[in-house]
Amino acid sequence: MTATSLVRFDHATLGYGRRVVLSDLSFEIPEGDFLGLVGPNGAGKTTILRAILGALRPLSGSVTLKAGLRFGYVPQRDSVDYGFPLKVVDVVLMGRYDRIGLGRRPSAADRDLAVQALAHVGIAHLAEQQLGSLSGGQKQRTLIARALVGDPNILVLDEPTNGMDLVSTTQILSLVRDLHERDKITVLMVSHALNEVANYVSRIALTMEGAFRIGTVDEIVNEPTLTAMYGIPVEVDEVHGHRIVVARRRPTGEMPRVNGESPRNGPHG
Amino acid sequence: MGDTVSTILLFKDALFGALLIALACSVLGVYVVLRRIVFVGAALAQLSSAGIALGMFLNGLGIGGELTHHPVAMALIVTIAGAMFFGIGGGGRGGVPPDAVIGVTYAVAAAAGILLIAKAKSGEVHDIFLQGNILGITRVDTLILLAVAIPVLLVHAIFYKEFLFVSFDRETARTFGYNVRFWNLLLYFTLGVVIAYAMQFAGVMLVFNFLVLPAVTGLLLAQGMRGIFTVAIASALAAALFGFSLSVPFDLPSGPTIIAVSGAIALAAWGVRKATSSAS
Repeated sequence: MTATSLVRFDHATLGYGRRVVLSDLSFEIPEGDFLGLVGPNGAGKTTILRAILGALRPLSGSVTLKAGLRFGYVPQRDSVDYGFPLKVVDVVLMGRYDRIGLGRRPSAADRDLAVQALAHVGIAHLAEQQLGSLSGGQKQRTLIARALVGDPNILVLDEPTNGMDLVSTTQILSLVRDLHERDKITVLMVSHALNEVANYVSRIALTMEGAFRIGTVDEIVNEPTLTAMYGIPVEVDEVHGHRIVVARRRPTGEMPRVNGESPRNGPHG
Repeated sequence: MGDTVSTILLFKDALFGALLIALACSVLGVYVVLRRIVFVGAALAQLSSAGIALGMFLNGLGIGGELTHHPVAMALIVTIAGAMFFGIGGGGRGGVPPDAVIGVTYAVAAAAGILLIAKAKSGEVHDIFLQGNILGITRVDTLILLAVAIPVLLVHAIFYKEFLFVSFDRETARTFGYNVRFWNLLLYFTLGVVIAYAMQFAGVMLVFNFLVLPAVTGLLLAQGMRGIFTVAIASALAAALFGFSLSVPFDLPSGPTIIAVSGAIALAAWGVRKATSSAS
């Protein structure tokens, strides 16, 4: 493990019980990285994420975390119960819970930090609002503020734009990029939407039905690599400096096949 | 009026016991309602009644010794076992939907309780499981209820933020190193203990009432967790006090009267909520 490495996979095979999901993974997440973990549903993104977060032990090989590594975790929005009548600032305070300690209450200083974290993501004015009354984008900013208030080494976002409209998606991705560039925070963003991630991150880890590739955006988001990974002809276009990945159109009625294999899911998962 | 107050004072231990049950159940009820496990509460109450019936049945056969001599011991064992089962997510395995497992537990426990009582040699009527017998609470019973309620409420006061975190967002709590399963089991354990003790005096209906209606009243009237706990506790205590006080002079069964008052308070809270939301 290099000095700047926060997470290191060393020939790690991941799975559940006897079922192997991904085998022989070797890669690192260095400090200052902005990595997108991309793939369709069921391709193993969550499995890798769980291994990084320490919730899943590799079946073989190793997953090593830098000593004292602190995660700022932003879960999928649906995993949070918005039926709880909690103020936005109280939700952000949860990001301090592990520092506050068992059975202790947050102090005024913790509360100040929570308000500062909300200001950092641009929603300090919503601190006293009920979480359930916020828009999807505002909820996501709240969860990002909660992840930041614990002063993490790495920000981990699980499908941060899932179910969001174009405007909210752009705002959230821009916010994450700003946090990475301004605060030099390492970011791991998990997403099924390659088009969204490819235009914001520095590196991409792409996982598809047991296959795994990692590299810079240029190394991954190109036609030969994506065509090989997705199993269908893929086109990479550029519009106003934005990469757009599309499945190449085929004549009506013709099923896409590459090398005799059955088609896999397209770039959008 | 003076006669009524004197009569109520005659049952002051019963009233105190009812207030304790209202207090403990209403605090836990906030989690029960917010976590959408209302019918787990109902199933546990029914399991508790089945446990009491099992104790009486076995005691009638001379089996179990001290364990079955005190029906609450069997109620505790059965209810806590059920609470642990639901707490580890046992209701969601084997391809059967969790709510269906809860329904099966409720139905089977209810039937088992009635059947066991019917064949128990002590031969008590099974209605007591539904309606309870608040008036039968003695000084010793109130002390036992106090000994159960205080530790449970202390645990919930001390570890409020832990219970809240694992209930609100278990995934993130897990990444923080929280043992989510432990906190879930502790929550369900306290629920099981309170239900098991409350059931033998209050009956299934009243325990279920105190687990649900005060928390619903709190949700209707308050914003924020502290407000909901405060309103839930206040409305539960008010329902116990007024319901009990009404049941004595009008010679009404105390449990259903308290439930009726709880329902009236929740209805009034709904009216207030409607009025304030349409005004704003």
